[in-house]
Amino acid sequence: MRDESGTAVVLAAGEGRRLEPLTNRRPKPMVPVANRPLLEHVVEAVVAAGIDRIVLVVGYKQERIRNHFGDGDDWDVTIEYVEQSTQLGTGHAVLQAEPVVDGPFVVLNGDRLVDAEAVSAVRDRLSDGDAPLVTVTAVERPRDYGVVRLDGDRVIDIDEKPEGPVDTNRINAGVYGFSPAIFDAIRATNATGELAITATLNDLAERDEVTGLGYDGRWLDVSNLWDVLTVNAALIHDTDHAREAPTTGRRIGDTVSVADDVVLAGNVRVGPNATLSGATAIGSNVTIAANAVVENTVVFPDAVIGPGAVVRDAVVAGNAQIGPNATITGGVSTVVVGDTVHRDVTLGGVVGDNASIGGGATLTDGAVVGDDVRADAGVVVDGRVEPNAVVRRG
Amino acid sequence: MCGIIGYIGELHAADGGGETTDEETPGSVGEIVHRGLKNLEYRGYDSAGVALVGPESGLTLAKRSGEVDALSVPDVPDATLGVGHTRWSTHGPPTDANAHPHTDCVGDVAVVHNGIVENYEALRAELADHEFTSDTDTEVIPHLIEEELAADSGGEEGGEGADLLAAVRRVEGRLEGSYGICAVREGDDRIVVARRGSPLVLGRGEDASFVASDVTAFLEHTRDVTYLEDGDVAALSPDGVEVYADGDAVDRETETVTWEADAAEKGGYEHYMRKEIHEQPTALRQTLAGRLDVDAGDVDLDVSFPPGFLADLEEIRIVACGTSYYAGRYAAQLFEDLAGVRATVEIASEYEFGAGRTPDRTLVVAVTQSGETADTLGAIRRANAAGARTFAVTNTLGSTVTREVDGTAFIRAGPEIGVAATKTFASQVATLAMLGVAIGRDRGALAAADARSVLEDLQGLPGAVQQVLDEEQRVREAAREFQDSEAFFFVGRSLGVPVALEGALKLKEISYDHAEGFAAGELKHGPLALVTPETPVIAVLTDGARADETMNNVTEAQTRGAPALGCVSAGDEYDTLDASFDVPDVGVVEPLVANVYLQLFAYHVANEKGRPIDKPRNLAKSVTVE
Repeated sequence: MRDESGTAVVLAAGEGRRLEPLTNRRPKPMVPVANRPLLEHVVEAVVAAGIDRIVLVVGYKQERIRNHFGDGDDWDVTIEYVEQSTQLGTGHAVLQAEPVVDGPFVVLNGDRLVDAEAVSAVRDRLSDGDAPLVTVTAVERPRDYGVVRLDGDRVIDIDEKPEGPVDTNRINAGVYGFSPAIFDAIRATNATGELAITATLNDLAERDEVTGLGYDGRWLDVSNLWDVLTVNAALIHDTDHAREAPTTGRRIGDTVSVADDVVLAGNVRVGPNATLSGATAIGSNVTIAANAVVENTVVFPDAVIGPGAVVRDAVVAGNAQIGPNATITGGVSTVVVGDTVHRDVTLGGVVGDNASIGGGATLTDGAVVGDDVRADAGVVVDGRVEPNAVVRRG
Repeated sequence: MCGIIGYIGELHAADGGGETTDEETPGSVGEIVHRGLKNLEYRGYDSAGVALVGPESGLTLAKRSGEVDALSVPDVPDATLGVGHTRWSTHGPPTDANAHPHTDCVGDVAVVHNGIVENYEALRAELADHEFTSDTDTEVIPHLIEEELAADSGGEEGGEGADLLAAVRRVEGRLEGSYGICAVREGDDRIVVARRGSPLVLGRGEDASFVASDVTAFLEHTRDVTYLEDGDVAALSPDGVEVYADGDAVDRETETVTWEADAAEKGGYEHYMRKEIHEQPTALRQTLAGRLDVDAGDVDLDVSFPPGFLADLEEIRIVACGTSYYAGRYAAQLFEDLAGVRATVEIASEYEFGAGRTPDRTLVVAVTQSGETADTLGAIRRANAAGARTFAVTNTLGSTVTREVDGTAFIRAGPEIGVAATKTFASQVATLAMLGVAIGRDRGALAAADARSVLEDLQGLPGAVQQVLDEEQRVREAAREFQDSEAFFFVGRSLGVPVALEGALKLKEISYDHAEGFAAGELKHGPLALVTPETPVIAVLTDGARADETMNNVTEAQTRGAPALGCVSAGDEYDTLDASFDVPDVGVVEPLVANVYLQLFAYHVANEKGRPIDKPRNLAKSVTVE
């Protein structure tokens, strides 16, 4: 471990509209996977890298973040908060941290999961000078991200979601190392509308001032609703379950079947003959009633899954109620987000916070039910249902 | 949540203590350590202690369970260094013996510790010839130090060659687990500290050095700090600070803290009260954890009564003060409904056993967050003297009330710092509701199906409260609109009455505005004379609160020009309200959920007025005088 422990600035002010309805009541960094918010996984990586001071840039629904992390005692780290009251881009977010950092610092996104090595690699190079460091990683679909062209370890440019063909699979991993000089550089960046940190980096790259750092560890991004399931599964499969939440307060019947790749929060009730399997995470104060089948599903706190319900490949958000014998069949489907059609994604369905699915109702594959929706017993729910809607029979 | 503070400085010891109350004057070692403990109070604690060392006086120890304020720090004029500790017990009782500092057999070495010594049982077995006086894992540390010192000095106590720093370094290698340790020794002018897993930070003043589990403990004295790393051992002496890692002296960087103490303590919230309002879903999940057996329609509160006692019960009398009294009012109605037994509530300071009652058929239930409320303890003593069976509902393990009653149910809400009770009210009512179900089932007064319905409502409580918290922005707008009103009247019926009373109490406590709660039907029997266009009426219009009848009374006030705000069951609508807040469908606990709106309203009215919300004038968190 190095002497200097340093500061990490984590950007957690964004809303995450592509994850609606999950982000209607919480910021994207607070969407839980493997029973912990995305941001908690980021904080843990930062702590594991030996950094002992974190500045969280918060904005949208910030109470959720402040309430969960407090002053950082539970993670043995000092957590401070700065507010980005309007979301004007990542560069603007970094600028909000200026009053509270006085030396070189690491910057991370609060919703991208990386290993501690990505953080410590940047931290260890921080004292080299004022040249910004950008962590670069290889992914299968580079065009969804900021594609980085490199000349040796010099960054040539970062091309956000390029339209045309790309000749590299290397992208900006979203872990940066900056000196306080970055603040003037951000202010000097010409921007119309959002002030993205990558715009500043491109300006600096033109003067050969940006260094790329290769990283080939874990890099997980939750861009779309179905990524909640894949990232949840990835985390569950490489976590040591023995150190998960304490088992106190659980009520689990004798005849319940719980597979190894299921994580249960401390305070969970599971009725007789229920079956839990396939990379499933069950949050605090959740009830799974008798004979329910839950598979490859993320269940947020306080939700209730009724007797005999079948819930596969689904995200069930906070305090949602799935009625008796309701069915989310699961499997591969086509999901439309905005104007984009996503084919062949595994998503049985999403049930928003406080929504209620009546007994015997069915969600067709890829259905997305908004928060506070009431779906009557026996209905078939298809496509996207806006928040607060009532789905009636007939 | 334990807290550590240590201080060493020659300069201030020469002042010899004295009448230093001025914030600018550092004062004696004892006073500085005591103030450090006060600064750590926000973490919650139930015991505290200090050890002071001086060249003439040797080692002086003081520790006890209870308030930091109640700890009398001994006057040791020649003390040059001291360490202090606050302890919040979650497993095992807060007793004087279990409070830190802990000492070795002869009382030469004193240690405060934050964290867990995982191999303490094995170590304790190795220390078979040492005398232990507490149940803590910590106590092995001073005894291990004693052993290492003895080894150095060839078996002689305190002999030449025995060095505290060397001893702590060797002990550190024998401990498993997580810890931050501070050790002091009679005849030694140093504080020796070690860190692994639990935070320790050093403060570097001009003529003094500090060590603490948290910078806030000494931030008023110095902002120059050094964070220790895992495995570091450091010695604080009059000459300064030396840090060692793996036996070698190392330089650890000194940083300057730029932030303000308050922000760190409250996790970025402006006030504990707002933090604690937002903690309610988590607190309620803890309250309910493992206690609801919905399928069987029963609860497991881990309490027991003598056979036949509940069946023959004639009356449950609840005694409490302030917010706990309103929780009791809520519970009394639930007890009558669920347990089929007469239930009455008495303000604790007014309580007498009273005539016409049979002691062995009466259960007296004390509701107290701290478990130390003097008025409530007095009531319990009167009940015990009369021969009644007594019971406590409290947040505090090992508190006085738990030792004086026949049985206890803990509300498990976690530490509450804001003087205005918020999350503990919610957890108290939830716990009392579970107690009502338990008694009702035991007495055969409550059918399993009816019990199930109540338990499902309870289970839905955390999610419902979260829904209300998500509406905070709208409550803040209402608070801004109505903050300058002359007075505020809160009304409800049935379970809405205690919530109206609690809503009014919250507002008056922290905003200093005139606020009153009434049973809605009483409005026309007097208080209506106070109603003007400048006095908003805030109503509980939910299930369990006879909403339609209450709305009739609200209309009477509206006719006199009063603005009206309401907390309304989701799906119902009262079009004439000036502001309406939805309460999710959770049956008999809907008024409890509505109360969260009233908490937020009180908070935002007070915040708009810039009141000192966490420490309202004239009030204390735990009232330990009658």
